[in-house]
Amino acid sequence: MATLERMDWYDIARTTNWTPKYVQEDELFPPELSGTMGIPLEKWESYDEPFKQTYPEYVKVQREKDAGAYSVKAALERAKIYENADPGWRSVLKAHYGAIARQEYQASQAEARMARFGKAPGQRNMATLGMMDEIRHGQIQLFFPHEHVSKDRQFDWAHKAMDTNEWAAIAARHMFDDIFAARNATEIGLMLTFAFETGFTNMQFLGLAADAAEAGDWTFSSLISSIQTDESRHAQIGGPLIPILVANGRKAEAQKLIDIALWRSWKLFSVLTGPMMDYYTPLEHRKQSFKEFMQEWIVTQFERSLLDLGLEKPWYWDHLLDEIDWQHHGMHLGVWFWRPTVWWDPAAGVSPEERAWLEEKYPGWNATWGKCWDVITENVVEGRMEQTYPETLPVVCNMCQLPVNATPGPAWRVRDVPHMHNGRVYHFCSEGCKWVFEQEPSRYQGHLSLVDRFLAGMIQPMDLGGALTYMGLAPGEIGDDAHKYAWADAARAEHLKKAS
Amino acid sequence: MALFPLTSNFEGDFVLQLVAVDTENTMDEVASAAAHHSVNRRVADRPGYGLRVRRQGSKDLIPRTMKVSESGLKPMECIEVIWEAPAAAR
Repeated sequence: MATLERMDWYDIARTTNWTPKYVQEDELFPPELSGTMGIPLEKWESYDEPFKQTYPEYVKVQREKDAGAYSVKAALERAKIYENADPGWRSVLKAHYGAIARQEYQASQAEARMARFGKAPGQRNMATLGMMDEIRHGQIQLFFPHEHVSKDRQFDWAHKAMDTNEWAAIAARHMFDDIFAARNATEIGLMLTFAFETGFTNMQFLGLAADAAEAGDWTFSSLISSIQTDESRHAQIGGPLIPILVANGRKAEAQKLIDIALWRSWKLFSVLTGPMMDYYTPLEHRKQSFKEFMQEWIVTQFERSLLDLGLEKPWYWDHLLDEIDWQHHGMHLGVWFWRPTVWWDPAAGVSPEERAWLEEKYPGWNATWGKCWDVITENVVEGRMEQTYPETLPVVCNMCQLPVNATPGPAWRVRDVPHMHNGRVYHFCSEGCKWVFEQEPSRYQGHLSLVDRFLAGMIQPMDLGGALTYMGLAPGEIGDDAHKYAWADAARAEHLKKAS
Repeated sequence: MALFPLTSNFEGDFVLQLVAVDTENTMDEVASAAAHHSVNRRVADRPGYGLRVRRQGSKDLIPRTMKVSESGLKPMECIEVIWEAPAAAR
């Protein structure tokens, strides 16, 4: 029997809105879950998803993708790629899995909320597929690292991280809860899929896939390429919502939601992806600097998309462009210096050759960030290791939950952005994070940062040991320098030459 | 006498840090407590230089002998700890 071409029946098949007879429209689509901002049902029917896929097509393609990724893994399990990989690369894997895998499950629930409560039929169809995508991403990114748990307990954090009070896990939870776990169907479409996934897909999955292939890690490369093709489909759920909101007088609301999510996503990129690309990935395998990647794939793309869809550049655009130059250097230095508090081994990435690369990509790096690393390097060379560890906590931002930091050295520009609300002083890292708080203080005001918890006596004893216990970091899991300080060998040799 | 947390922004360093002092500590002692977490860890020492404390955003240095309890500083307020050139430090 001849079958119709997909586009001959797709529109009819997914036009599943009807006029409710036994309940009110608001009972079928409660505004707090649908997020429809008073826009009636029929207006949402103009939603036109750019990527159309049917369920049979989806199942066929996904089956092939899964078979591909799992067969690459099976074929390479005995190739000792992991054992022979650079320790910096192993840290990329650990950080990635811990921060992302469990959040994929959370994302599947957000997609499910769109699949049920979205008023646009096309959005519901896309989100049904997106929901299954995210379940797959959760499962595959827990299964792949599990292979390494018996060799390295830090890989256990792929599953464990989100159940702990480890600081990076708190930061990731705060951000993901805000942009999708606790949002309605419209907000999820704009904040998770449009703002976060469009950027994150490109940043974490496209950039890292290229680095993985360069590093010879075909298992990870095929895994994240497999995920990236899903993301590039369901990341398109949010875009078609924007013209509907703009046409119905809700441009300001759409703009605000996207601006919040994009700023919050940027902060996560700066601590997770920035160090991976510019410090952890072995020098010879780096394709682009984090800054180059951000400029090409995030800044340019977002600017174009926002304007094309009838929105404006976020008010903080100049702040973002400025931070791209330096924020991730500070996140990296912070993660490395407080290395016992993470579930991976940070790669310092500051050998003379790596510093030359950093100076080339970020002119002025040696005169700023390099000044701090000079002191650290000298301590390592002189064996003053206790001076390379912290004895206190960094003050973290009450929005992004990340250390408040900025450019050091003679160009010192670190500052606190305090804000008084209901008698409590909140500390922010930037005008962007403070602005997010001000948009809906009641949403954020009750949260305690790690420093707030410390001062409230929730971390006992009040020392590094107490903090590590609070964070769930056991011996064998706490981070240390990925290369056992080999990056300081050249400085050590220089030092010995001078002494002789 | 009571523990008093402050936010230290140390000149030349890259990050704000929690510094626990006492309400009876002088500004010189506060500066020294802040220096413990920055100098020779990520900030090179400057022999001969002194250290002074000021509120973030203010150009006015808080007198060296003033106690925390007399300074009007609030818990977790951000202080800037800055180097003072040898001539001025004398």
